[in-house]
Amino acid sequence: MKIITNLSAAILALAVPIGPAIAQDEAPTAPAAEPKISLRSDVMAIAISIDDQGHATTTLAQPEEFTPGTKLSFGMNYSNTGSEAATNVTGTSPINPAVRLAPDADPALVVSVDGGGTFGTLETRSVETKPEGTRAATHADVTHVRWTIASIAPGESGRIAFPVIIR
Amino acid sequence: MHTTFPFLPSRAALLAGSAAVCALGSVEATAGGVRAGTLIENTAIATYDDGAASRTITSNTVTILVDELLDVTVTSLNSQPVLASPGEAVLTFEVTNQGNGPEAFDLIARTNLADNEFETAFTSVAIDSNGNGVYDAGVDEILAASRTTPILAADQAITVFVIVDVPGDVEDQQTSGVELIANATTGTGAPGTAFAGQGEGGGDAIAGTSTASASARGALRAGVATLSLIKSVSFQDPFGEQSAVPGTLATFTLVADVTGSGSIDDLIVVDAIPDGTTYAEGTLTLDDGPLTDASGDDAGEASNENGISVSLGSAAVGAQHTITFTVTID
Repeated sequence: MKIITNLSAAILALAVPIGPAIAQDEAPTAPAAEPKISLRSDVMAIAISIDDQGHATTTLAQPEEFTPGTKLSFGMNYSNTGSEAATNVTGTSPINPAVRLAPDADPALVVSVDGGGTFGTLETRSVETKPEGTRAATHADVTHVRWTIASIAPGESGRIAFPVIIR
Repeated sequence: MHTTFPFLPSRAALLAGSAAVCALGSVEATAGGVRAGTLIENTAIATYDDGAASRTITSNTVTILVDELLDVTVTSLNSQPVLASPGEAVLTFEVTNQGNGPEAFDLIARTNLADNEFETAFTSVAIDSNGNGVYDAGVDEILAASRTTPILAADQAITVFVIVDVPGDVEDQQTSGVELIANATTGTGAPGTAFAGQGEGGGDAIAGTSTASASARGALRAGVATLSLIKSVSFQDPFGEQSAVPGTLATFTLVADVTGSGSIDDLIVVDAIPDGTTYAEGTLTLDDGPLTDASGDDAGEASNENGISVSLGSAAVGAQHTITFTVTID
């Protein structure tokens, strides 16, 4: 059994890795001599519980409710089921216009506010205002989220996520 | 064994390749948020180097359906208490669907509020069918016994009239309240209460912060106007004295005072010419202005046979009118 507990070393510019590491107890039985990356999207509810000492614990749960204002975790589960490392992994997730990136998203998140044309951290982004000028972009302006991982080793997997709020 | 997230959301259908269902950039939002029934997708595309070439892969697409939030507000549109006299009184309210989907609302009017100084009898609830903001009997639709509004689109507001009957024994300046309650027909409950599968588009309907119920109070203040009429007479005999002898001119003065609240409509002051006297032609006056004896040309008319009649029309509180006419003692 091989349990991957620490993904952070592999993640350079990352979406917030909220979820627990994925346990995987078997290597593929017939590994191909190349990396094989699979992606699986999910949508989770973010539940925050506070214990007696006032420590907040964030857990993910199956979402029950999808009303405006509901906060969700949009996740991307990746795994390398191949036999070689995959390098320069870049993933892009469009943000559905019915949701907005939550204000507590990691400031290091690489985002686009122009439909996926250009990317950078939110603080470097600006949007045009009418009739002229620009203003600093806000979380609500984000149209895409991008994440990069330098290398995913064989058998390695994890979840990258960003929080959104239904508009 | 391959342990991944054991997550299979009951209503988060895995719809691969359905990106056309929800095109980016066009989402209808309401004051209550994204419209109920909107589909929200999460998907991703990734590229990586496999040692020889760059590869591109696409994830599945997770689609969720926006639930219907049930929220409502009720507002009294009467900025001041409605002046009410015995008979019909109309209070005006606005009911607004603050949710994100279409919903009808059951309306309940309460007239037996705790601090009422008089109590009205509920008559009916009508909606402002012609949209002019004023209750028009026979034009504005009276809601049937269940008193359910038509289905209101998200953000839609309608004007609602509550018609009550003011009792005959009401006293001037007494106050009374009428409360209008609007409940979402799907159901009401503490915020978060879910009505499975009853939302627009097949999602759940969920009570919002308003509990899917709201109420507002309108006030009535009794305006009962009272008319007092004081009649006096002065004599001028042929000798310049004040005795009542044949040939004496008797001038009658009628003072009409309106007190209380509101106004008196169609006020007409009539008086007969006393027996044994004869009306002195051309002596009728109203508020020091002469009136002709003929009917139809001004507010007054006078004749020996029919006496005097002066129409004061609508007289508001505080109005005072003085009518004089003179007769000759036979």
